[in-house]
Amino acid sequence: MFRLLSKMYMKKASGTAFTFILFVALSSVLVQFVSPYADDLRGAVHLESGGQHPSLKHWFGTDAAGRDLFTLTIYAGLSSLKVAIAVVLLSVFIGVPIGMFSGVSSKKTDEVLMRIVDGFLAFPPLMLPLIITSVLGPSLNNVIIGISMSWFPWYVRIARSQAMIILSSGYVSVSKSMGAGKLHIIKNHIFPNSIGPFLVQGTIDAGYAILTAAGLSFIGLGARHPEVEWGLLLTQSRAQFLNHWWEVFFPGLFIIFTVISFNIIGDELRILTNPKERD
Amino acid sequence: MIRYYCNKLFSMVIVLLVVTTITFFVSRLLPGDPTSLWVGDHPTKEQLKTAKKDLGFDRPIYEQYKSYMIGLLKLDLGISLRTRQPVLEEIGKRFFATFELVFVSMFFAVSFGFLLGLFSAIKQNSGYDKLISGIGYIGLSFPLFWLGMILQLIFFGFLKWFPLHGRSSGFEGVDLDSFAKTGILLLDSLLVGNFGLFANALMHITLPALTMVFGVFGLILRTTRSSIIETSQEPFFKTYLAYGVSRKKTIWFTAFKNTLIPVTTVSGLSFGLLLGGTFLVESIFDWPGLGQFSVMSILSNDFPAIMGVTLLYTTTYVLINFLIDLLYPLIDPRIRKINV
Repeated sequence: MFRLLSKMYMKKASGTAFTFILFVALSSVLVQFVSPYADDLRGAVHLESGGQHPSLKHWFGTDAAGRDLFTLTIYAGLSSLKVAIAVVLLSVFIGVPIGMFSGVSSKKTDEVLMRIVDGFLAFPPLMLPLIITSVLGPSLNNVIIGISMSWFPWYVRIARSQAMIILSSGYVSVSKSMGAGKLHIIKNHIFPNSIGPFLVQGTIDAGYAILTAAGLSFIGLGARHPEVEWGLLLTQSRAQFLNHWWEVFFPGLFIIFTVISFNIIGDELRILTNPKERD
Repeated sequence: MIRYYCNKLFSMVIVLLVVTTITFFVSRLLPGDPTSLWVGDHPTKEQLKTAKKDLGFDRPIYEQYKSYMIGLLKLDLGISLRTRQPVLEEIGKRFFATFELVFVSMFFAVSFGFLLGLFSAIKQNSGYDKLISGIGYIGLSFPLFWLGMILQLIFFGFLKWFPLHGRSSGFEGVDLDSFAKTGILLLDSLLVGNFGLFANALMHITLPALTMVFGVFGLILRTTRSSIIETSQEPFFKTYLAYGVSRKKTIWFTAFKNTLIPVTTVSGLSFGLLLGGTFLVESIFDWPGLGQFSVMSILSNDFPAIMGVTLLYTTTYVLINFLIDLLYPLIDPRIRKINV
């Protein structure tokens, strides 16, 4: 694991991407202790300093309520990273066992499970998270549930195909002939050998989870005031953004950089974990 | 061939069945009480009870499921809790606005994506290639709502080239219904010969369509480019080159055909992405379509309306993918042979 990380760090693109994610993570935790405008994170209002241009005093300017946008934007990284990690973990925890089970099961069970999975994947992207979150009610936690409930089928598919590939390999047949059960095979052969693809998919999905969550917050389904989230910051700027470009510009930039960074890291991981693509 | 089509038709029906079932169960997950919107503020207990009965929420779940499915077959999507009109009617009013936006965006996304991908592959690893594939790559990571706002900021706020939002402006006096034959503004205005309205509608659709195109053309570009580059490593391709045929010509005559299958596949996916994009893009650009309608329904907990749009979008998406499946054997003779 450590070797993987250090290898990734050596490459220019993935190194930069990795540094950026690390920066977002660290700064979003620390900003509330360092920033002179930490009160703004708890819903302070200074109408007298509202709508200021970016300046040395307020690096990203201030919003209509006079909150310092630099502090807000940096701090918002915390909710986004939380969503990213939670969505990926939840999808893996739901999807991987189902997929591996499906992969080692009889043809009939496999067929039924796959049909259900196909049904989940037949929704246009964003549709299922949207309706699940809207049914559960707007909040960041429900966004996490909504996105995971519609993304776990991808992990079912990966886990299933991994299970089938590994199941057909020689050493598993030997293990089977010695009386190994399904659970044993999953635990000792299939799971350890399929971590690579999950790592790749998980990293790329982390970025898209942030993007989707920001979209849901933008519609009004995600984070709510006084929570701070990038999509929410954009919604809050909608009434006055034509005169206050900085309110839109900076939070969006952070979304883009974070999503691209996760993408780059995912691509690099794909190359590093797959010996065929390494050369 | 026929067996291939039957297989695809069968799996499409199964997928539709599963999709409607998932939608049904999601709609019954509600922790809140959907009847409360129906009866309004401060209802009495009796009102709630009769409303529950009217809406059928008091019956056992399998019975609700049965009547829901039968209703779907009759195209009965229920009644909107917010507007109190049949959901189907509400959808019908807005369908063509969304159709127009998605269709225009799809057309440009596919044609730009394909052409740029083609040129990128021909000039592989040149500065042009890197720039174009870079932009396509970034496009996929863009929050569409942010891009929409930035475009509004630049083209309306600073440059004042395009209108801020809406579908047309200054033509309220024109009675659209009397000549609305197709419901597609760009087409109708041309059919009637109202070029002022056409130009106006064109100006209005530019920014939202541009936003959508930017979000998905990268997917098509990337697929086109990589499939051409993959083909150019095949022995037959190298043979052509060895005979002295130029790379450009070889791509045009051989690799070009090989891109059709993957590009058709991702076009289906792009269509889905565009449908998902309508929620965000339509609400930013105040586009009077289904995406905006669903967002308003979501904010007022109008579940029959949300479910109606969900079913429509998903069915359309499933149908499009089915049509794409039907196209495969026409494009690729190899698929035709396998399934005879």
